[in-house]
Amino acid sequence: MQSSSLVKQDAIVVKHAKYSPVREFWRAFKKQKAALVASIFIVLLIVIAFVGPYIVPYDPFEPDYNAILQTPSAKHLAGTDEYGRDIFSRLIVGSKISLTVSFSAVFLGLILGTILGLISGYFGGWIDKIIMRTCDVLFSFPDLLLAIAIVAILGPGINNVIIAVMVFSIPSFARLVRGATLNAKENVYVEAAKSMGASHVRIMYKHIFPETISELIIFVTMRVGTAILAASSLSFLGLGASPEMPEWGVMLSSGRDYLGTATHVVLMPGIAIFLTVLAFNLIGDGLRDVLDPKIKNN
Amino acid sequence: MNENVLEVINLETIFKRDQQEIKILRGVNFSIQRGEVLGLVGESGSGKSITSLSIMKLFHGTSGEIKNGSISFHGTDLTKLDEASMRQLRGKKISMIFQEPMTSLNPVLKIGKQLTESIEMHMKLTRKQSTAHAIKTLKSVGIGRAEELMNEYPHQLSGGMRQRVMIAMAMACEPELLIADEPTTALDVTIQAQILELMKQLKEKNDTAILLITHDLGVVAEMCDRVVVMYAGQVVEEADVFELFANPKHPYTKGLINSVPKIGDRKEVLDSIPGNVPSPQNMPQGCKFAPRCSNAMEKCHEHEPEIETITESHFCSCWLYASKEVALHAK
Amino acid sequence: MQNKLLQVKNLKKQFQVAGGMFEKKEFVNAVIDVSFEIKEGTTFSLVGESGCGKSTTGRLITRLIDPTSGSITLNGNEVGYLKQSELGDLRETVQMIFQDPYASLNPRMKVKEIIEEPLIIHTKLSKGERENLVLEMLNIVGLNTEYANRYAHEFSGGQRQRIGIARALITKPKLIIADEPVSALDVSIQSQILNLLKKLQQEYQLSYLFISHDLSVVEHISNEIGVMYLGSIVEIATKEALFVNPLHPYTKALIASVPVADPLLRRKKETLKGDIPNPKNPPTGCTFHTRCPIAQELCKLEVPKMRQITEQQSVACHFVEKIEEV
Ligand SMILES: Nc1ncnc2c1ncn2[C@@H]1O[C@H](COP(=O)(O)OP(=O)(O)O)[C@@H](O)[C@H]1O
Ligand SMILES: Nc1ncnc2c1ncn2[C@@H]1O[C@H](COP(=O)(O)OP(=O)(O)O)[C@@H](O)[C@H]1O
Ligand code: SF4
Ligand code: SF4
Ligand SMILES: [Mg+2]
Ligand SMILES: [Mg+2]
Repeated sequence: MQSSSLVKQDAIVVKHAKYSPVREFWRAFKKQKAALVASIFIVLLIVIAFVGPYIVPYDPFEPDYNAILQTPSAKHLAGTDEYGRDIFSRLIVGSKISLTVSFSAVFLGLILGTILGLISGYFGGWIDKIIMRTCDVLFSFPDLLLAIAIVAILGPGINNVIIAVMVFSIPSFARLVRGATLNAKENVYVEAAKSMGASHVRIMYKHIFPETISELIIFVTMRVGTAILAASSLSFLGLGASPEMPEWGVMLSSGRDYLGTATHVVLMPGIAIFLTVLAFNLIGDGLRDVLDPKIKNN
Repeated sequence: MNENVLEVINLETIFKRDQQEIKILRGVNFSIQRGEVLGLVGESGSGKSITSLSIMKLFHGTSGEIKNGSISFHGTDLTKLDEASMRQLRGKKISMIFQEPMTSLNPVLKIGKQLTESIEMHMKLTRKQSTAHAIKTLKSVGIGRAEELMNEYPHQLSGGMRQRVMIAMAMACEPELLIADEPTTALDVTIQAQILELMKQLKEKNDTAILLITHDLGVVAEMCDRVVVMYAGQVVEEADVFELFANPKHPYTKGLINSVPKIGDRKEVLDSIPGNVPSPQNMPQGCKFAPRCSNAMEKCHEHEPEIETITESHFCSCWLYASKEVALHAK
Repeated sequence: MQNKLLQVKNLKKQFQVAGGMFEKKEFVNAVIDVSFEIKEGTTFSLVGESGCGKSTTGRLITRLIDPTSGSITLNGNEVGYLKQSELGDLRETVQMIFQDPYASLNPRMKVKEIIEEPLIIHTKLSKGERENLVLEMLNIVGLNTEYANRYAHEFSGGQRQRIGIARALITKPKLIIADEPVSALDVSIQSQILNLLKKLQQEYQLSYLFISHDLSVVEHISNEIGVMYLGSIVEIATKEALFVNPLHPYTKALIASVPVADPLLRRKKETLKGDIPNPKNPPTGCTFHTRCPIAQELCKLEVPKMRQITEQQSVACHFVEKIEEV
């Protein structure tokens, strides 16, 4: 096979900088100052969650009856609780529980929701109707109520909290992905793939799923915030982590009795939850400005 | 009868992006006389639409701005007019029709409402008089059921019908200059033939000057008196339509004319122009066409040719026809 | 005598556009009656105005949609009613090139990934073997091999169309369905692509079903041409016959409407009156009668049959003879 000079018309190569989606993203994300600060906070939090147990100043489980309900000081940065345990150490160890629970719940919800959403949007018809009606039913319960109901059925415990939070995440992911799929499958290149004989799985995976990624990334960050809040709430209600665990919701709950005398016992885990949820939402907002095609095109 | 309706002199239009100015029009010159159809041709991206938007000063929502030059309409420099005075001119003295009529018709207003509004405003007529005038205009563009159509919405019409309505709107106030930007590109050939015929008739009747922007040399040959060829934001050749097709000078013009497949012409291999229009951010030095030109010489890559007079009514900017030499940089 | 690669007979496609369990159903007759054949190594073109069913015909042949009735035979085998799972052969022998060079390439994939996709689907070649074929293909369609690792959106319309052609050719298909492949391009670029398509046809004995609304492009590339109006072929002829001696009133009008790029040939046009009717309720009898300059009473009542007039030319019109006299 040789090609004649006739078709070598494009030999004039226009040199332009090589395009890279990652570099492009980073260039735009750098401008989102609030999200950038929030990302640094979350990265630090994750690092702390992993190395925290080895560097904590005090054993988070060891009571110290000589130092009960002390207010924050140089010795105990966040004060101590009703058993004299160092709250700062407990918060650090607790961050691992909160992050693990929320990340795994959202991750599982993401996988199942995405698969359901892709199937629903791509095939349409009766399978779409069944999936979407089921989602509607789940949607009609307030998030937390649904989670409570699930834990009530499965019994309390951290694993069941993960399942509960996952279940109430599925419908929102499924809906989001279905919407993006409906748009993506109208693309001519999807028809091109069909005309080449690509299988349904290949089309969904190669040509449709990538179209949903940016919306998913935005939504996942927002959703992690919600999940932390939900998991803490369940623990607060005594349906999640067991009472001696340094989980943030549990800490909040057990500090209730001392609200009048030692506010910091409630305040400290409250601030931890607040800042973490806020940070995830700020990142989500920043990502939306950078990634959302509807905003980008303006 | 040698009155210039419009004279564009050294027009430079820029867009701002990331605090940088990108020059889209790099000194455009042409004029249109009363009753004349001037064709503006060139590949897409050569700046034809930006030229028309500059004349209308329709930059809203973009960062476009006229940087230099003048646009004189009957002696008034449009670049100096404020938005209020421009609004007085638009739709009355200068009208425009676009490629996609749906983008310029309001989808939620009935055709009648859209037509009478501009007539009432510009011609100072009563509601009743302007309705009568609107119906008359619709009939003049060959719409038989004009009365019914006044009560319909744009989406209820076919593409050809919408373009007729657009032309009716543009012609309603009997403008002196009509700018038509690819008016038939989105239409089928049989409908295109109808619309072109209609534009010809209206021009004969009102002596309107028409700036016809198109990439279709067939349409140019069919419609225009004079032709301006644009490349990379500049005029590279201007000539009478017969002269241009019989005796094109600029290598770009030649390339364009030879690329068109013609019915009855049994060429096995079509001529073409290699490469692509350069983007405004990546303009080559010297003659902008040099990277694609088979006649390019050394000086073409270094210096920009100036516009030269070939005959009294034929102008071309190419070193092949230069009257004076330039010194090349020693390398 | 060349082999018949593709034969299409009385193809029909109805789309349901409204109605369900309780409402009245409404249909669009996108393709009413289309028959033609394509010989090996030749180009058959479908030409006609928008909405006349050209793309639908193309999509039926590639079995992106299912025919309502009629037959499609490829190499003598009926493929019109095969299940999607049985279409392996067709998917390999027939490839498509699309009109919109922007929309038909996935913007998130690299040029290399786009072109090798058919190989991944149809062959078991290794990564290295696929890569070699991709580079060879880039060369064949006149693109720099350095482009393989770029994203498609970095290219101009003409270059993208070359990428689309490379993708269509990589499995060595026999038939290419090209749906308006040059309509979105400037003339200067359009001629590059037309030249490339012609050259590839000669080198690889390809057959083309070339779909276009542009008669001058069609004349340049075709051997045979079918003129479509409202879902039916109204005239079918060799290129020479059709352009020298068009018989159907619609073909004549279509040819006469094309603006000629020569001001010396400027003339007052006999323009066709009226609009293309809505395919939801097409006119009775000959669907062209609402716009036909020589229509008679009979035309409103009876659908004209396709009649062979000469060896090279068939027409569906009640009054062909009359036209010839005029
Ligand atoms: N709103 C805009 N912002 C920045 N650049 C623009 C804008 N509109 C057009 N351009 C650029 O201006 C150049 C000329 O465009 P245009 O006048 O539309 O070309 P034509 O009408 O000849 O096809 C192109 O390179 C185009 O990318
Ligand atoms: N999927 C579809 N559903 C309903 N109507 C359709 C569909 N595809 C095409 N049509 C209709 O069928 C007719 C023929 O369309 P098409 O084959 O795309 O025409 P062409 O390619 O000749 O312009 C048009 O009236 C179009 O609206
Ligand atoms: S100036 Fe030189 S490069 Fe430019 S068109 Fe003329 S010959 Fe070609
Ligand atoms: S059959 Fe009648 S209406 Fe149809 S094309 Fe022939 S003369 Fe015209
Ligand atoms: Mg334009
Ligand atoms: Mg089509």
